[in-house]
Amino acid sequence: MNAPMNQSDGELERAPVREPYRAGEEPLVRARRLSKRYGKGDGLVRAVDEVDLEVAAGEAVAVMGPSGCGKSTLLHLLGGLDRPSDGELWLGDRRIDQLSERKLAEMRRHDVGFVFQAFHLMDELTAQENVELPALLAGRSPRQARRRARALLEEVGLADRARHLPCALSGGQRQRVAIARALANEPRLVLADEPTGNLDSTATLEVLRLFERLHARGLTLVIVTHDERIAATADRLVSMRDGAFVDEMPLVGGTRGRLADLVGLGG
Amino acid sequence: MGRARLVCRLAAKDLRHHRAEAALLLLAIVAATATLTVGLALHGVTSNPYAATRADTKGPDVVAVEMARPGGPSQLTALEHARGVTGYSGPYLLAFPTSLEADGHSDPVMAEGRATAAAPVDQPKLVSGRWVGHGGVVVERSLADLLGLKVGESVRLGNDGTYGTPAGPGSMRRFEVVGIAVTAALQPSSVATYMHPTGFPEPGLVWVTRSAAAELARVDGGPFAYTLNLKLADAAAAPAFVTAHETNVVSLTSWQSMSARAGYIVSVEREILLTASWLLGLLALASVALLVGGRMEQRTRRVGLLKAVGATPKLVTSVLLGEQLALALAAAALGLVIGWLASPLFTNPGASLVGAPGSPALDVSTIAIVIAAAVAIALVATFVPAIRAARRSTVRALADAPRQPRRGRLSIAVSSRLPVPLLLGMRIASRRRRRALLSATSIAITVGALVAVLMFREQTHFVETAGGLYRFGGPGDPLWERAATVMLVFTVALVALALVNAIFVTWATVQDARHAMALDRALGSSPEQVTLAVVAAQLLSALPGAFAGVPMGIALYIVAGRHTPSAPSPLSLVAVVLLTLVAVAALTAIPARIGARQSVAEVLRAETA
Amino acid sequence: MQQEVVLAMLAKEPSQGYQLRARLDEALGPLGESINAGQIYVTLGRLEKAGLVVREGAPTDRSDRSDRKVYELTPAGQARVTEWLSEVNWPKPDLAEFHLKLVAAAAAGLADPISIIDLQRRELLRLLRDVQREAMNEQEASDSGLLLEGIVLRLQADLRFLEACERAWTDRRRHL
Repeated sequence: MNAPMNQSDGELERAPVREPYRAGEEPLVRARRLSKRYGKGDGLVRAVDEVDLEVAAGEAVAVMGPSGCGKSTLLHLLGGLDRPSDGELWLGDRRIDQLSERKLAEMRRHDVGFVFQAFHLMDELTAQENVELPALLAGRSPRQARRRARALLEEVGLADRARHLPCALSGGQRQRVAIARALANEPRLVLADEPTGNLDSTATLEVLRLFERLHARGLTLVIVTHDERIAATADRLVSMRDGAFVDEMPLVGGTRGRLADLVGLGG
Repeated sequence: MGRARLVCRLAAKDLRHHRAEAALLLLAIVAATATLTVGLALHGVTSNPYAATRADTKGPDVVAVEMARPGGPSQLTALEHARGVTGYSGPYLLAFPTSLEADGHSDPVMAEGRATAAAPVDQPKLVSGRWVGHGGVVVERSLADLLGLKVGESVRLGNDGTYGTPAGPGSMRRFEVVGIAVTAALQPSSVATYMHPTGFPEPGLVWVTRSAAAELARVDGGPFAYTLNLKLADAAAAPAFVTAHETNVVSLTSWQSMSARAGYIVSVEREILLTASWLLGLLALASVALLVGGRMEQRTRRVGLLKAVGATPKLVTSVLLGEQLALALAAAALGLVIGWLASPLFTNPGASLVGAPGSPALDVSTIAIVIAAAVAIALVATFVPAIRAARRSTVRALADAPRQPRRGRLSIAVSSRLPVPLLLGMRIASRRRRRALLSATSIAITVGALVAVLMFREQTHFVETAGGLYRFGGPGDPLWERAATVMLVFTVALVALALVNAIFVTWATVQDARHAMALDRALGSSPEQVTLAVVAAQLLSALPGAFAGVPMGIALYIVAGRHTPSAPSPLSLVAVVLLTLVAVAALTAIPARIGARQSVAEVLRAETA
Repeated sequence: MQQEVVLAMLAKEPSQGYQLRARLDEALGPLGESINAGQIYVTLGRLEKAGLVVREGAPTDRSDRSDRKVYELTPAGQARVTEWLSEVNWPKPDLAEFHLKLVAAAAAGLADPISIIDLQRRELLRLLRDVQREAMNEQEASDSGLLLEGIVLRLQADLRFLEACERAWTDRRRHL
């Protein structure tokens, strides 16, 4: 780890640190035959087609697939932005596929954080105010919300940009503000939809590093992407085609020696 | 040619795609043009029906009246052979004030004693029934309309003691309404003022036989009056004739001043209507501006796409303007028809004249003005946003990047201490300043118009006319009643348009807030909270608008009506403001609620797509 | 490792073996770990024999530890470096082998091309993961970070090739 990161790690101590992911733990997200269909008859689209998924607490799962394969819809279902047509969905020990819109809103407020490709920051609010917003929505006092927002901005390395409007920030900085916002209410699950889709490779690295650090602290992450390099940073990769899972693979191991081969340094 | 076709096709496609918006826009312009049509049509009413009536009834050029003893007129007969006179009828006895009792109501009338044979000058034209005969009375049409009298009904005429002379037994006699007629001969205002010093403007007129008139004059005990209708060789010289022959015994009226007086009755309403059409026009303009402004915001990406494939700013502007022009022309046509059909409702007060009921003439100038107004509304409302949209950098338009937001630091700082819906509301409101300003303006116009109506309804006023100072006011005055009816129609139209306007405003706000709402929901706001937030945002802009509307309404009333205002009651002003705000809140809640139920995922996806 | 790389590293100034090694480490980052120290000296020995480098100092002092010796380019070495810099060559990816493997497997019916692709894909993804992790640990704009970026991009290209293969072979299977 390099120097700036270690610095911000110091700030992390204030936030509650969760146990890192251990295999075999009770899953945080559990989906059984989860389906989302649009339209009727010939126009029927099976955006998500009887998907089974378990995400353990502290695990980072990447969902990959070509555009239109239903990966975003899956993410929206997991976060309660959309309701499934069929199937069961559990977040922790709570079944959420049947919740009322109000309960879903509460769930999104407390348990889920979203990160979008287009950042979706509020243009007229400063970075700090954007990060405060979910905390205020959750009924925290302005003072608490402000303190939390400051800590989070420091964590994402943007403490000096707190008073900037989004339009004065670079893409990578905006996305980091959005990530800080997603973390404002200490969610159990962060859902990211093509989080680096609008970023160049340097900014992508910034965001990936941030995810990696959050992940190391035990945050559960589901990332939807079509970019292999993002997917490769996850613990597990799920491939989707036409609304269904076609492949699932754990991504652990790999040999360092082989890397040298790749650049012509092998002996 | 190909370019023109392209413009038309693009415009048509766009309209078809956004039918609801197009319909709302159409409605707004139709309302404005219809009112304008009615207002303009009434210009013609003031003179045309009188002229028609004059022609049909051998209308006199001059009417002379002499207050006299029961024995007969002393100076009137000398006029029969004055220089320039080519014909005459009379003198006829005028019995007044005579009470006409029908359905238990008593109204003051003048009863003119007439021969059963037709007169060479001023032979009232029968609209229904027959001419006077024994025991029969012919009622002037506006009076008949006012009292709801029909041929065959029975009324009582005579002295019921209302006008000073004690009533004795048998001083009221039963008559049968045998006919209803119109006349162009109005009695000089001196008669009317004599009869009603308070200025009751036009007493009703009935015709009876000569003997019946003599009998009525006897029981009235009032002054006798004789009226003589004269035809002159040169009708245009009538005013000069009047000046030459007026004495303190005989008073004369030229047909020109009669025409003016007949016109006055409708002119009050015309004034109201023109004021109303101004108000409605303004309101329609505000609606159109809001709607078009809203459409432009949404079209920005479309403009960007058009430009990206090589459309010039000119073409883009043409497409946008083409759309609005098509709508404006359709709306103008509809508005003209509706206004033309509706104008008889307003011209009823001229019912005492031939040809007044029915549609006033719809002349070329009226049509031209209405179409020009509709087109102007569309042009003005479209031009600025269209130019701006077309000039906007293609890249920025494609990205649809929001303009650099200017933010109220204070409002945002304050809002963080508020409950969630207000917090969101303030942030939504601070997002679109121009939109907030427009909606405040349109609310101000609405409230202003309502205040103007209220003031009219609450007031007694004096109106300066050619004939002198008329006291105009209070229920019971038929003129006031008629004006009040017109006012009511106007109020209904205005409230309807205000309602449409409020729907536009709120709809546009909800459209604007869609993304923010979806985002807030993604962050965990419930649909109820975001609905309340949008309502709060709307009220934030409506509130200053509503308050600004009050002085605006008062000013408008003073300027447009040329009336001396008395202060409107504060209670009613508060009521207007409150009711408007409640209506705005209610109207916002509905689309906001629908918007809040939309799938968050869908909205956010649409924004990025 | 190519001799020319070591030769070129000496072009800046005469250096000792361990200095060369440090320079390589800086440029290669975590990938430098795969180069063992002996390799450099073996290469230097060969270059010396070919007359491209000379050892400075006492050539007689053979007992000296080789990493204390200072190496310097000879004019011939200098010329070779210049020549090497102007050469245009690029490592050629061996895609033909993989492609033929698939064709052969399908033709002989020995293995399912799809599962071969799948296996290869997993392997590449794991590699990508490792490289990505190394890249994330790098300082911004470091030389070795650039190299890692290069690897990532190549792996991505390979993964896309595999995707294309998968699509093609899935279609082919469907049409059979």
